[in-house]
This record gives sequence, C-alpha cells and structure tokens, in this order.
Amino acid sequence: MKESWGLAKRWYTPAEVSTLRLWIPIAIAINVALLSTDWIRASAVTLQLGLLACGAMGLLWWLLPDGENGWKRDMALAKAGLVLLIAILRFAAGPQMAIDIFVLAWLIIPASLALVWLSSPIVSAWAKGRITTEGAEAGLARNKALSPRLGAAGAHILLLHAVSIVLLPVLWILDVALSPGNILGGDIGSSDWTTEHFEKMLDGDSSFWIWLRNSLIVSLGTTLMGLLLAVPAAYAFARYRFRGRDGAMFAFLLVQMFPGIIILVPYFMVMKSLGLLNTSLGLILAYSVTALPLCVWMLKGFFDTVPRELEEAALLDGCNQFQVFYKVVLPLSIPAVAVTALFSFLAAWNEYLLALTFNTSNDMYTLPVGLASLISSTGQAWGDFAAASLLVSLPVVILFIFFQRFLVEGLSAGSVKG
Amino acid sequence: MVEVRYENVTKRYENEFEAVKGLDLEIRDGEFLVLLGPSGCGKSTTLRMLAGLEDVSEGSILIDGAVVNDLPPGARGLGMVFQSYALYPHMTIAENLSFGLRMAKGEARLSDTEIVQRVQDTAKLMELTDQLDKKPKQLSGGQRQRVALGRALIRQPKVLLMDEPLSNLDAELRHQMRAEIRRLHDTLGTTTVYVTHDQIEAMTLADRIAILNEGVLQQHGAPLDVYNDPANEFVRGFLCKHIDEIVETANTLFPPE
Repeated sequence: MKESWGLAKRWYTPAEVSTLRLWIPIAIAINVALLSTDWIRASAVTLQLGLLACGAMGLLWWLLPDGENGWKRDMALAKAGLVLLIAILRFAAGPQMAIDIFVLAWLIIPASLALVWLSSPIVSAWAKGRITTEGAEAGLARNKALSPRLGAAGAHILLLHAVSIVLLPVLWILDVALSPGNILGGDIGSSDWTTEHFEKMLDGDSSFWIWLRNSLIVSLGTTLMGLLLAVPAAYAFARYRFRGRDGAMFAFLLVQMFPGIIILVPYFMVMKSLGLLNTSLGLILAYSVTALPLCVWMLKGFFDTVPRELEEAALLDGCNQFQVFYKVVLPLSIPAVAVTALFSFLAAWNEYLLALTFNTSNDMYTLPVGLASLISSTGQAWGDFAAASLLVSLPVVILFIFFQRFLVEGLSAGSVKG
Repeated sequence: MVEVRYENVTKRYENEFEAVKGLDLEIRDGEFLVLLGPSGCGKSTTLRMLAGLEDVSEGSILIDGAVVNDLPPGARGLGMVFQSYALYPHMTIAENLSFGLRMAKGEARLSDTEIVQRVQDTAKLMELTDQLDKKPKQLSGGQRQRVALGRALIRQPKVLLMDEPLSNLDAELRHQMRAEIRRLHDTLGTTTVYVTHDQIEAMTLADRIAILNEGVLQQHGAPLDVYNDPANEFVRGFLCKHIDEIVETANTLFPPE
C-alpha cells in the first residue's frame, strides 16, 4: 500500500500542466517567428511588446507548478495575467491586420488557458501538494481520458498551420485568376471577381488547347514508352543473374546523379541530328530515357518481393516464361506499375527545361512552356497565367485522387504473401 | 506404369559446389518415396531437378523411360506442392485450382465444362467446396495447404512432388494433414516424391525412404528396414538415434505399465 501511494503520487501530473509545459515553448517559438512581421514593418512599439510577452511566457513556463512548491502556482498565475495584459496593450498600440490578430491569438489563447487551468480546483490542490492517494489515482485515470484529447487538439492546430502554409499560394493564385485585369498583388478577395481569364484560356482559338494537346501526347507517350521499357528491364534485373547486371544497375543510378542541365546540350545536338526538334517524339524519347532509371529501380524493388515459388508454381502449371510474367507477376504488380506510370506522367507533364530548348514554335509548346510564354518581356498576363496554372494542375489532382489507393499500396510494397 | 529414374545425376552450381553427386535412384509406380536428410543435403535440389526448376549438370532423369532433362517443367506432367503453398494471391480458389488446366494447349486442353467439373471434384475431395470463390488470403493455413494439394492433383499428374509441405503448419494441423496426405495417396495411387527433414514424417508416410547427406545417397529402403539395419554411421545417427531418443522421452513421460 505504502509503495503504491508513493508511485501514484510520484507519477501524477495533471494533464493540463503537462500540456502547458509542452505547448508554451511552441507558442514562444511561433511568437518569436512572427515578430519578423513587426521587424519588417519597423514597428518598434509592437516589437518591444512582443519581446516582453515572449519573456513573460518564458517565465510562466519556468514557474509552472511542480506539485511541491505552492508559491510557483501563484507566480505562474501572475505571469499568465501579465502576458494577457501585454497582449491587450499590443492590440491597442499596433496595426490590426489579419496577421496581427493571428499573432495576438498565439499570446491570448495560451495565457488564458494557463489562467483557467491553473486556477481550477484539481490543479491548485495538486500544486500545493495537498493531494491524497485516492486523489492521485483518480487523477491518473482522468489524465488517461484527457491527455489524448488535448494531444489531438494540439496536433490539429499545428496541422492547420501546415495546411494553410501549403494552401495560401494556391488561394493567392485562385484570387489572381478570378480578379479582373492582369495584375499581381493586392489583398486576397479584395476586388470583384470575374471568369474572364478562364474564358480567354478556354476559348476555342486559344493556344491553351494546342499546348494541352502537345502535353497530353508527350506525357501519355512518355508513360507508355517508359513502362514498355522499364517493366521488362526491371523484371530482368530482379529475376535473372547475368554478366554486367550490377554494373548496369549502378550506371542507371549514376545517370540520376547529374542535374538535367548537364545533358541539355548533348541532347539538343542528338535531337538536331535526328531531326526531332519541334516534334513530340523527340520529347517523348528524351523524357522516357530520363525517367527510366527511377522507374526501373522502383519496379525492381517491387518485383523482388514477389516470391519465386509463385513463379515456379506457374511454370509447373504449364506457363512459359512470358506467361509467368503476364499472368502471375504482372497482375500482382499493378499497384507498383500504376505508381510508376503516374511518376512518368507527372515528370513529363511538369518538365520545362527540355521542352523549352527543343521546341521553338508555339505550335509545339507543352503547357509549362506555354504558361511561361504568357509572362514575356512585352506583356505580363498574370491573370491568364494564374487561370492556366490552375487548369494545368487539375488533371494532376484528379490523377492523384484516382491513384491514391495504388500509391499507398505501391509505396508500401511487399504485401504479397501466398 | 509411371516410374521415375535418376541415372548418375549430378547437380553442380556455377561456383563449382556439388549439391547432388552421382545419384542413382528409382521410384516405382504408385510408390510413396520420401527424400530425407538434414538441411543442405541436396534433397530439395533432387526434387527440383525432377520438377524441371533446376538444370541437371550430369546424368539423366527419366519419367516412364523417357529422358526429361530438357523438357520444360509444365511438359513433364507433374504436380508440385510448395512449402509456402505459392497460391496465386490475385486469383480465387477456383481459379487457382483450374489455372493449370486452363494453361494447357492442344489436345490436352479440356473443355470449359470439363474444367468446371474437375474443379468441383477436386474441391469435394479436398473439402474446399465452400471456399471456391474466396481468395487465398481469406483461408486458414490448413485450407491453403489443401488448395495447394488440390492444385497439384487436379491435372492428374504422373508424379506428385512435395517440398516440405507441412513445415509451415502447427503441430496439430501437421498431424492431420499427414494422415490426409497418406489417405489421398492410398485412394489415388499417384506416384509421390516427398521431401522432408522430419524423421517421424518420413517414417509414418513413406513406402520407402531415401536418406541423403552432403549430396550423396546414403541408403534407401522401407522405413523399418532402414531403421533396423542402418547402412552406415550417418544413417544410424540421423535416423535411428533420433527415433530412439523420441521413444525414450515418451517412455520417461508415460512409463509403460
């Protein structure tokens, strides 16, 4: 009994206190990072107040109760009040843009939580060391229910921040695409909205359709050609032992180690002498070859996980080598093949450098090159550009949604067990 | 009359390692032969050469008096059960069973109705009738084992090959399947070659056992004959002593009245 009394008491810290202990440093870090906005605006008063608030929060963290020294709780309460006070002062002193409200939230919410939680009866009793065995045991049980919920709330708050960082540029582009005139800048959602840019891009005579056709031909061609080359090659690498096998695998990797610009000029010369400049075939060839190493390695990794006994069983069932491959191995590899196909497609769909170099006429531009041509030295059609960008991303988004299941399966390969 | 004959068969790998050395062995029609030996003794290689999964370096293997050295595995008229079952994960049980039949060409190809009939018969024999539409993943270990057996038997093979088929099962299932395999053999009379490292399995299943060590055939004969009259020290140690120890343990646990 004595033993368990010590144990429960030693291990018990209210979930509220552990949450504050974890999250106040995060709040401080975010506040320090956000002080850069004041720095940029050269707003001395708010900058000083912000620094003060960070310092007060640091003290609050240091003074968080430990279950023995009762005075710590009172001091921590005072510090939380101080943070709240500075936040209100700051609100009164500084500009009140969206970003400022956001900064203040990172002061006010942690401070208020500290105030409420630290003054709650359970935490006060614990902080002053007035807690019984039963109290500590009940507290541990309460923690078990409370901690996951607090943790989940915190995780979602951080995830929301990450999501907004990712989505903000997209929102901005959407705003530019929907705003009248071809200007960049201004507040998001501050002007009237219009679909004129989309209409212009999707108009029957627009170059967009030519670019789209070229991009589709090149990307689908690359996918097809890449798979036709990569699937058999990867299977051979995975299954057969032959002279030069390891050397060839390494050579494949070696090619991947150079930035694309190095092979740009040689490629150009080759394409020129083959007469493949300004053709889709030239780009298909170049892209397939560039994407091949990664495709082969990805597929080989998957084929390696298909048990050999499965193929032997098929041999005994009367298949020849080719049938073994396309009746047994290939159906099992659909997720990996799908991922590889997606990868080749995306690589070709997004590629800019080679497409720009090989093609000189608007009739042969692919979408990325066409998009860039909207922002020329003579006229910068940002609105059109933004609208077209969104249209270009659309197929990719759809592909990802469609392939999502395969992506997860294909990347976590090795689930083939008889 | 189906008989299998190994004539001076040697398997040599590229690194000059000899897995099987000059093996002479005959497997008679309708016989249940067990290849027994410790790990790495060449018993699996012996079986895989018969199946056509490994090339024969020297000598020849005959089925029904015809040399099969260079025939592809599918043409030899064999059925094989693998240690890991090797069921096709993307096919239903019915498709797994019928795959070999569907792959046959020319005269050997049965009509679709015949194939359906065969699948039904085999499923009944292996007690799999209710599982035909499931995928291998949905079956238990014992059921998968029966599918693997059914798949090997459905083509009515001349010789049935089994490579440690029971080693992935728990003790009780292993006991059950052992009885079932023997019962099937007694019903169908298929010439069978069975590889194992388990002495008890060999003693209880075999009409005849062939003991290998380091690629060399040590002795072959009826289980009790080999046990009573081991040809050399290795057989004495690997088979006789092992069984004696098991009997001794059993006697200590349950002393005879």
